[in-house]
Amino acid sequence: MSIAAAPARPRQRAARAVLRRRGGVARTPLGLALPVVAALLVFSAFPFAYLLGLATTDSTLARPLQGWVGTENVQAALRSEAFTSSLGKSAGFAVGASVLQLVLGTALALLLRARGTRLGWAGVALLLPLVTPPVMVGVAWKLLLAPVGGAFASISSTLGLGAFNPLGSSTGAFASLLVIDTWQWTPFVCLLVYAALLGVPRELVDAARIDGASAWQTARHVVLPCIAGTLVAVLVLRLVIAFKVFDIVYVVTAGGPGFSTTLSTFEIHREALQNFQVGTAAAATVLFSLLVGVFVTVVSRLQRRANGVAG
Amino acid sequence: MTRARRWPSAVLAAAVAVSSVPLLYLVTLSLRSRDDVLSGGLLPERLFWDNWPDTFATLDLGRFLLNSWVVALLAVALTLALAIPGAYYTARAGRPGERLAGLVMASYCAPPVVAVLPLFFLLRSIGLNNTLPGLALVVGLANLPVAVWLLDGFIRRVPREIEEAAWLDGLGPWGTLRRIVAPLAAPGIVAAGLICFFLAYNELLFAMSFQQQTSMQTLPVALSLFQGDRNIEFGQQAVASLVGIAPVYLLAVLAQRRLVAGLVAGGVK
Repeated sequence: MSIAAAPARPRQRAARAVLRRRGGVARTPLGLALPVVAALLVFSAFPFAYLLGLATTDSTLARPLQGWVGTENVQAALRSEAFTSSLGKSAGFAVGASVLQLVLGTALALLLRARGTRLGWAGVALLLPLVTPPVMVGVAWKLLLAPVGGAFASISSTLGLGAFNPLGSSTGAFASLLVIDTWQWTPFVCLLVYAALLGVPRELVDAARIDGASAWQTARHVVLPCIAGTLVAVLVLRLVIAFKVFDIVYVVTAGGPGFSTTLSTFEIHREALQNFQVGTAAAATVLFSLLVGVFVTVVSRLQRRANGVAG
Repeated sequence: MTRARRWPSAVLAAAVAVSSVPLLYLVTLSLRSRDDVLSGGLLPERLFWDNWPDTFATLDLGRFLLNSWVVALLAVALTLALAIPGAYYTARAGRPGERLAGLVMASYCAPPVVAVLPLFFLLRSIGLNNTLPGLALVVGLANLPVAVWLLDGFIRRVPREIEEAAWLDGLGPWGTLRRIVAPLAAPGIVAAGLICFFLAYNELLFAMSFQQQTSMQTLPVALSLFQGDRNIEFGQQAVASLVGIAPVYLLAVLAQRRLVAGLVAGGVK
């Protein structure tokens, strides 16, 4: 980038001409990419091809790929109420969690930025939820929310508010998962947005304030457009990660009560490794990845448009 | 000025309090007997230390912790070995590099549950199911996109002039990577390695799908299975959780600056 700007001595200039003739650094050999390409083949291409095979054949855990069954597995997956309803719940969870965390994380980042340009102790406080193993997060929250002996239940009964058991109701359990995920991931959003805020030119903000803009107006009309690209990028990333959520469902609600918190990842895992319906689970996985693919593609389009506006 | 600065600090202090509640609660639980917990209240009536030895007696925590560390360290080694040359390629190879970066990110979008069944059969056919290296292999590959994404940002910041000089002096691409680029990007490699360590150490889905034998389980798997349906052992669950959390918190606090820098370098490009 800055190469052209630096005044080059003749010898260097000649050397650079040689590089350029051979394609410059752009002729970085393909060999460097081979390990990653091989990894992608093993971890992405092979599983997807194999999954298509499992989805269209008769399989058990002991003997996979036994005989062609066409769309039977897909039909079985679509007939399964637990699976089809899980798609909506997964999408609702991913969108709800990502948007909630984007709003909270951005608000916290603005406050942190108002405090100064150094994170200090806030950096540690932000990191800890992020690195806590999700299983342990789930265990801690499950104990906090326990109807008997849980912290919230104790507080509620001390205040005379009666029983407190969010995990016992459908909406309560779903909301609890959202709260737990938000507890864990808001710091991630906050850190990335904070970093973007550090990149907003000081002069822009000062100029707006001198022109009489209020703090809110400055944030809304000066700062926000500057970080719009980052915000959308973070939203995409969070959506992708939120579709993968499995651990806290497994630990905190196990999909219940009923099927109210059975997200697709949990349902697929249950179908494959507890019910041993390998073919149906594979077909369900294909359908679920299609859903995730559509979501990510749509939001990435939005991202490109946002970048077009901002940049 | 001081007034304007005070209320953000108050809100932030509240946020920090919220973020530490679950951990503090685990600490108090670990020091309370079951009757004490069930009778309500938030703090121990009197300190009850038995949970600690009891937990180690019921659960083979040492074994699970060791398994988790072995898997996480092997996985990080694999991830970095693949990601460092890969990120050098995505950062420096121009158009083809960007195309590879796009492919890597596309693979990251797929939920890991997609790979569970196929890799289950693959591991079994090569005899690596129920082994720590087998799990490390899968987890290491799973974290590759994260590492490439983070390292790409760091390698782009290495001045190209130094690299070009090394090329001209006949070091070649691998030599330049090993002797010039990797040392200059070392802080980024450490940050990416730490982040991948946390991801590998915390991983549940693959670990519980591939490790059916109790002796090969990692701590998150063991803990996820350690939940009585009727009699919740509050104190013991808290102890087991704290034992699992302690090493990652220690690492995170020690490497705080690098981690923040690593996340930020990846996130803002």
